Amino acid sequence: MTFQQSMWLGARASIGFWISTFLFGLLFGLAAASAGIEQWMALFMSAAVFSASAQFAALEFWEAPLPLASIALSVALVSSRNILLGMSLTHQLDDYSLVRRMTHLALLTDPAAVMILRLQYNVNRLGYLTGYGLALFVSWICSTWTGFTFAHLLVDAKIDSLDFAGPMVMATMMILFVKGSRGRSFPWLISGTVSLIMFELGIPAYTILPVSVAAGVIVGLRLVRSDG
Amino acid sequence: MALVVYLTRVGGYLLGLRVRHVGRLRPVLEILPGCAFMAILAPAVRQGSLLDLVALACVVGIMWKTDNVAVASAVGLAALLFGEEIQGLIT
Repeated sequence: MTFQQSMWLGARASIGFWISTFLFGLLFGLAAASAGIEQWMALFMSAAVFSASAQFAALEFWEAPLPLASIALSVALVSSRNILLGMSLTHQLDDYSLVRRMTHLALLTDPAAVMILRLQYNVNRLGYLTGYGLALFVSWICSTWTGFTFAHLLVDAKIDSLDFAGPMVMATMMILFVKGSRGRSFPWLISGTVSLIMFELGIPAYTILPVSVAAGVIVGLRLVRSDG
Repeated sequence: MALVVYLTRVGGYLLGLRVRHVGRLRPVLEILPGCAFMAILAPAVRQGSLLDLVALACVVGIMWKTDNVAVASAVGLAALLFGEEIQGLIT
């Protein structure tokens, strides 16, 4: 399949996540308006950063003078899962120059990584990633604009009840993963269990992700060894 | 901020390129996103209210049966938004 055909396939496949992306963009636009950010800046942030979790994390610190170091650290922590997503795609994007791969990886999103790892036929992965990312990017920008522009109408809406929307979207991705995993779910169960235990013990949140993932990886390595 | 996010996206990929030649590492690299999602998801679910968990159960059930992200998301979000009203009607 050509780059363009795969791009189109990726764009069409992203439609399922348009709803959640639009919702988060809407909420971000609303939150940005509430934080006193100008509309052009909110749109620029959405275009340049293109990450719901990072942008919401930055808004937590948004007051003059901007604490840039705190914002950078907070954004790095919430974006650290991108490192794992990028690593998982290591074997997937080989047919193009490194510069081109680096450029297109700016459009990497959680659902795109999940879907690429589920692809079983001869799709151009870089094209798929690009189409998927561009489609969600359009949804993200449009929803940021909508949320900001109509913030005055949305203020009374039951925004608080949507706090759980993030975990819910993550659960949809997890189900896609589990169904496409061909029986390799055990490391994920270990990561989830370790994470839950650490959370219950009150261990600082920033250590939970690396330790839980490490536990899952160790189990994954043992499984690979026992298979071999 | 944009640079930090971009560096996390390409940093993981570049790191993966350095270790990809290690034998039989590919399946391990490919489980990483699932491990990350579960590590984030588990404490979030633990903190969820009963209505949140009902919405989550709807999403998981629909996803498991249909693989349809749009329908699952729409039903889940509707459950979050209108769960209290529905609960009020039932009780």
